[in-house]
Formats: sequence, C-alpha cells, structure tokens
Amino acid sequence: MPDPTKMQCGEIDALLSDAIEGKLTGAQLASFEAHTQSCASCGPLFAEAAAGHTWLKSLEDVEPPTEMVTNILVATTGLDTTRLHAKFGERISWLDRAQDWADGFFTPVLAFARQPRFVMSFGMIFFGLSVSLSMAGVKVTDIRHADLRPSAIKRGYYETSGRVVKYYENIRFVYEIESRVREFKKATAPAETEPIKKDNRHTNDTSQEPEQHQERNYSQGDSQQLLASSPTQPPVVILEGTYRRLS
Amino acid sequence: MVEDAQVGALLVRRCIAGDTGAWEEIVQRYHRRIYNICYRFAGSADDAQDLTQEVFIKMYRTLNTYDLEKGALMTWVTTMTRNLLVDHFRRTKQDRMTDSLDAAPSDHEDAAPLSERIEDKALTPDFGVQSRETRELVHRGLQKLSPELREAVILRDLQDMDYKDIAAVLKVPEGTVKSRINRGRAELARLLQRTYRQVM
Ligand SMILES: [Zn+2]
Repeated sequence: MPDPTKMQCGEIDALLSDAIEGKLTGAQLASFEAHTQSCASCGPLFAEAAAGHTWLKSLEDVEPPTEMVTNILVATTGLDTTRLHAKFGERISWLDRAQDWADGFFTPVLAFARQPRFVMSFGMIFFGLSVSLSMAGVKVTDIRHADLRPSAIKRGYYETSGRVVKYYENIRFVYEIESRVREFKKATAPAETEPIKKDNRHTNDTSQEPEQHQERNYSQGDSQQLLASSPTQPPVVILEGTYRRLS
Repeated sequence: MVEDAQVGALLVRRCIAGDTGAWEEIVQRYHRRIYNICYRFAGSADDAQDLTQEVFIKMYRTLNTYDLEKGALMTWVTTMTRNLLVDHFRRTKQDRMTDSLDAAPSDHEDAAPLSERIEDKALTPDFGVQSRETRELVHRGLQKLSPELREAVILRDLQDMDYKDIAAVLKVPEGTVKSRINRGRAELARLLQRTYRQVM
C-alpha cells in the first residue's frame, strides 16, 4: 500500500527540472527531497540531471561569423549593394573580391609578360586560352549553377586559388589571364544581380506545409518507443537503447 | 514575450508590404539565436552557417504564412529551425557516429590535447565550469545525445525557452518535454563522467 503523503517515482519526473532550477518550495520541496534521498533510482537521476544542467549552463552563446547577416540578405533579397555597402562598410560580394584579387595578383606579371620576347603567336594564344580554361577550372556554366552555401564558397575559393597558383607557375600562358578575367566578369555579372527571390517564388509550393500540419521526427518508428518508455525504468537503459536505435 | 510577439507580427507585416528594412531587422534580430541553436545541435560552425542561411531562405519564402494567433514570431522561427535540423539530421545520418569525444576540437572552443586535460580537475560541475576545455567537452558530449534529448536541453538550458514554448516547437506535451530535459541532462552527465573515467 503506497503512503498517500509520500511522493511516488512517477511524480518526481514532473518536478525534477523545477527542483534543479530552484523553483520548488515548502512541503513540495520537502517531500521531493525525502523521496530522492531514499529512492535508489530517483536519487541518482536527480544528481545526474543536476550535474548535466550545471554543465550545460557553462556553455555560452557563440558569435556568428561577421559576414553572416550580409550573406543572408544577399541570399534572400538579392543584391541591394548601395544599402549593404552603406550599412556594412567596405564589405563587398565574394565574387567582386575574387575578381579584385585576381586583377591585383596578375597586374605586375602582365606588365612583365607584355615585353616583346613574351608576345606569343596567334596560335599560341589560342592554345593558352584552352589550357587556362581547363587548369583554372573556371567554366561559365559552373558558375551559374554554383553552390552558394557559405562553406561551399569557402571550399571553392581555396580549390580555385590553388589551381590558379599552379597555373601561374606556367608563365607562358599568363598573357591570357587578363582576357579570361574580363570574360569571367562579363559572364557572371547577370547571374550575380539576378534576384534569387524570383526563383524562390516559383519553387514555393510545398515548403510551408510541414510547418503547420506534420510532426517531424528524427526517425519514425523510434519516436513512439521513446514516448512510450516508462520514466520509472532506470533511465540509462532507455537512453542506451534510444541512442543505438537512432545512430 | 507579449511585446516580442507584437513586434514580430509588425515586422512581418511591414516585410510583406515590401519594406526591405523590416526583413533586415528580422535577420538582425534572430540570426544569432538560430546560429547558436544550429551550432549546438549540428556541432560544427560550417554546418551552423549553412543551416542558418537555409532557415532564413525558407522563412523569407513563407513569411506570408506566419500567423500571430499560433504564437510569437520567435516560436515560429525556432520551429522552422528545428524542422530543418530534423531534415539535416536525417540527411547526414551516414556520416556520423564514427567520431568520439576525443575528435578534433570544434570551431568555437579550441580544446587542449586530452593528455593536458587529464590533470584538469574541472570535470566535476562544481569546479571551473568556465574553462574552455570543459566547455569543449560539454559541446562534444551534447553531440552524443540522441537528437530528441539534445534539442530539448538546447532549447531549455541554452536558449532559456519556457516549457510551453518548447512543447509548441517540438509538438509534444509539456510532460514529455520535461521528461526529455531530465533525461538529456542526466545522460550528458553520465557521458562526461564516462569520458573522464576512461581518461583516468
Ligand atoms: Zn523514486
């Protein structure tokens, strides 16, 4: 026969977080403490949950990358350069930056390459053109369908600059870079200024549906077992099982 | 929070009316929160950046479906973030579960090598919880929790949401939320204690 004045294990689960967060008072706190001090399963659970809470509370907010707001605005509303530049100082798009970098990098080399002994024949120029295309890996079609996620851009930037440096070692073809960069600029300009917004409107069919109507689970079958698991069972058993199933 | 709901609703209305300044304000207001939820859930800064951008793109497309009656903008934004995290979790299932708590340090809390941490007595919550190394261990421990427990403790202990709002975001009863938070906290403590014992 359970004593009606005593707290049962089932009640502890509902009060545990309040107890940890210091919200229990009076008789409720007294009977909570009485139970957790004597119960072999609730006592350790209380101690562990309290420790976990303290550990979690030691985590502070991390700073998002500084360029994040600009990137989000570019990705959503398209380029609104005057406002962005006014608001975020000298920050410019990655494409502009890459072009400026390429221009600055090759200018002294180009001056050197313009000397008569480096002037190549017409056929040589065409050869260089095709090699520069494949070595730099820059294709207009690639850029149009480029992955514009920040991490992908970062990755792409390092890969491309790696290839460009390799190319630069082959100084015979340096003469062609200037025209390539000009073409590169011309070819990518429309893709850059075209608002992403427009495109989104057309693909806007089903995305909002799940927000309202459908519960999303990490895996279908498992969540039911998770919800059904009894809180009075030793938690470690439930958790170990859940963890393995979900992994 | 009532105030926040009103401000949020007004921002959305201005946004739909074509005020780009309002959209920028929304981004300014919520990007830090979304980024932090994503970072703590997904574990890496790169993923968090991609996911945050994904959240805002989705939000921008669906702003006109936001309904104040159903809750504050913050709850709506958090729900959207959480749903994208579910998708992300399913998408990346293959790549996970091979790394241990001793993997390379994550982006925001550089950890000292494990050998140096052995000396560190800060691994009980009473001592030196502020240390970077401990925070790094906690962050990695969090990644080991099942996603249901992880999201519950992130929303409660890191984002300070109340149980009612968490229940709305996760679409489960408040009792279930509390139970998951209890188990999430306890499981994290056990994971960290186990790691510590292995090191010794
Ligand atoms: Zn008990």
